[in-house]
Amino acid sequence: MDELNLRFIIAAYSVSWLVILGYLMRLKRKGSQARADYDQISKETAGDGPR
Amino acid sequence: MSWEDDWRRVRAIAKKDLTTELRAKAGFNGVASLAVTILILLGLALGPDADALRNAAVGAVWLATLFSGVLAFNRSFQVELESGALEPLLLYPGPRWTIFAGKLLANLIFVSLMVAIVTVAGIVLFGIAIPPRWPTILLVIALGVAGLVVLGTFYASMASRSRAREVLLPLLLFPMLVPVLLAATTASKALLGADLMHEAGAWTRLLIGYDLVFLIATFIAFEHVIED
Amino acid sequence: MPQTELSRESRAAAPPRTSAFFGFIAFAALIAAQVFSILTSPAEADMGHLQKIMYVHVPAAWMAFISFFVVLVFSVRYLWKKRENDDLLAASAAEVGATFTGLTLMLGMIWGRPAWGVWWVWDARLTSTLVLFLIFVGYLALRAFVDDAEQRARWSAAVGAIGAINVPIVYMSVKWWRTLHQPQSSPSTLDPAYTMGLRLNAIALLLVTIYFIRKRYEIARLERAVEHLAEAAAMGGK
Repeated sequence: MDELNLRFIIAAYSVSWLVILGYLMRLKRKGSQARADYDQISKETAGDGPR
Repeated sequence: MSWEDDWRRVRAIAKKDLTTELRAKAGFNGVASLAVTILILLGLALGPDADALRNAAVGAVWLATLFSGVLAFNRSFQVELESGALEPLLLYPGPRWTIFAGKLLANLIFVSLMVAIVTVAGIVLFGIAIPPRWPTILLVIALGVAGLVVLGTFYASMASRSRAREVLLPLLLFPMLVPVLLAATTASKALLGADLMHEAGAWTRLLIGYDLVFLIATFIAFEHVIED
Repeated sequence: MPQTELSRESRAAAPPRTSAFFGFIAFAALIAAQVFSILTSPAEADMGHLQKIMYVHVPAAWMAFISFFVVLVFSVRYLWKKRENDDLLAASAAEVGATFTGLTLMLGMIWGRPAWGVWWVWDARLTSTLVLFLIFVGYLALRAFVDDAEQRARWSAAVGAIGAINVPIVYMSVKWWRTLHQPQSSPSTLDPAYTMGLRLNAIALLLVTIYFIRKRYEIARLERAVEHLAEAAAMGGK
């Protein structure tokens, strides 16, 4: 009985960390993408300046 | 502007919507036919055992109502969308809430008529015996329809103007209607029987509270939603 | 009513970086809390160590609620002040909230399988959480299907606020639905032996949630700033 439950406990904690780390990865990826886009476009439009 | 002017505007919008819908070929007849068709399909899927059907009757009627209702709600804004009449409607002097009220009124009448038909069909198809407390059941249905129409009209004002409106309206609306669905079906089932636990009263009060809360909330929110 | 007029420069300004150190602390706290709770909580008579799942399941549910509350507050604030950043924060909280709600559901099912013998029961809390998840999904779907930024912000705020109002009503109605007929033995009034561990896990997970929301908000602001700069460039006639 305990054996079975152990499997579920491990499953639960694995799923939890998968979700949490997975979301973290997604944020990190989107974050660097967004920063890169921002840096690039600021550089491009830097020449424009206030009119 | 005076209350009379506002009220006249509400009635005018409601009347315009209703006449457009009731006259259009695919309007009321289409939606009502769909509702009954869904009911029939549910009967086929859940039957043919008479007891199973009788137990499923209340749920089936409400589901048929919900699924056809979304069609009615999207259509209530579609007319303006197609003819581009939304902008002139907005520019016309008068408070915005009258637009919402007018559409609410039109949808209320439209859906009530549809529910009447579906309920009768349900009684016949699912073999329901009309109980002595049927006026209370009517009240429960009315309160449920009110909740459905208020939120349905509100969400349709946005969904109908977005991409993927057929998916977005049910996706937004149905989770919000869970309290209505639970209250209306549980209370109706109790009233069809003997209501041994006297729960119909509690559910009815929940429906009244729900309707009031969302009537007020959607009126306030509509101002922000309708500007273009 | 247009959005609060900010100068083009300030709308296009880069948002501050979310501290990676804070993230590190949050995750360290979470690991520490979990290790502590797993090692110090006693085994139960019938279910063995199954209750240990509660150390993640319950805090995850709490984080879902907190996120929804953030969505409510900033949705209302947006409708009031029309500040774009409020909308972006609400949306960030919604995404994080949806994630934690999904996690709550999965853990509820993983706990339920050995405890009740089935993967799903129409239990009051599990069902309500499922509805909450759908409300989040609807909010996010709306944002995905509306292209105009200002309209998206206004509509999301309205939908977010109204959705949030419904959350307690949903919980109440589902609870009545389940209990008026059969008084149900609620599965999780936790033993005081678990309270300390639960609190530690909740605090740690709260830190992680705050980190997630801030990081997501930073991304949202960056993306929006890029859009503003692109618009400005296009209008500059280049």
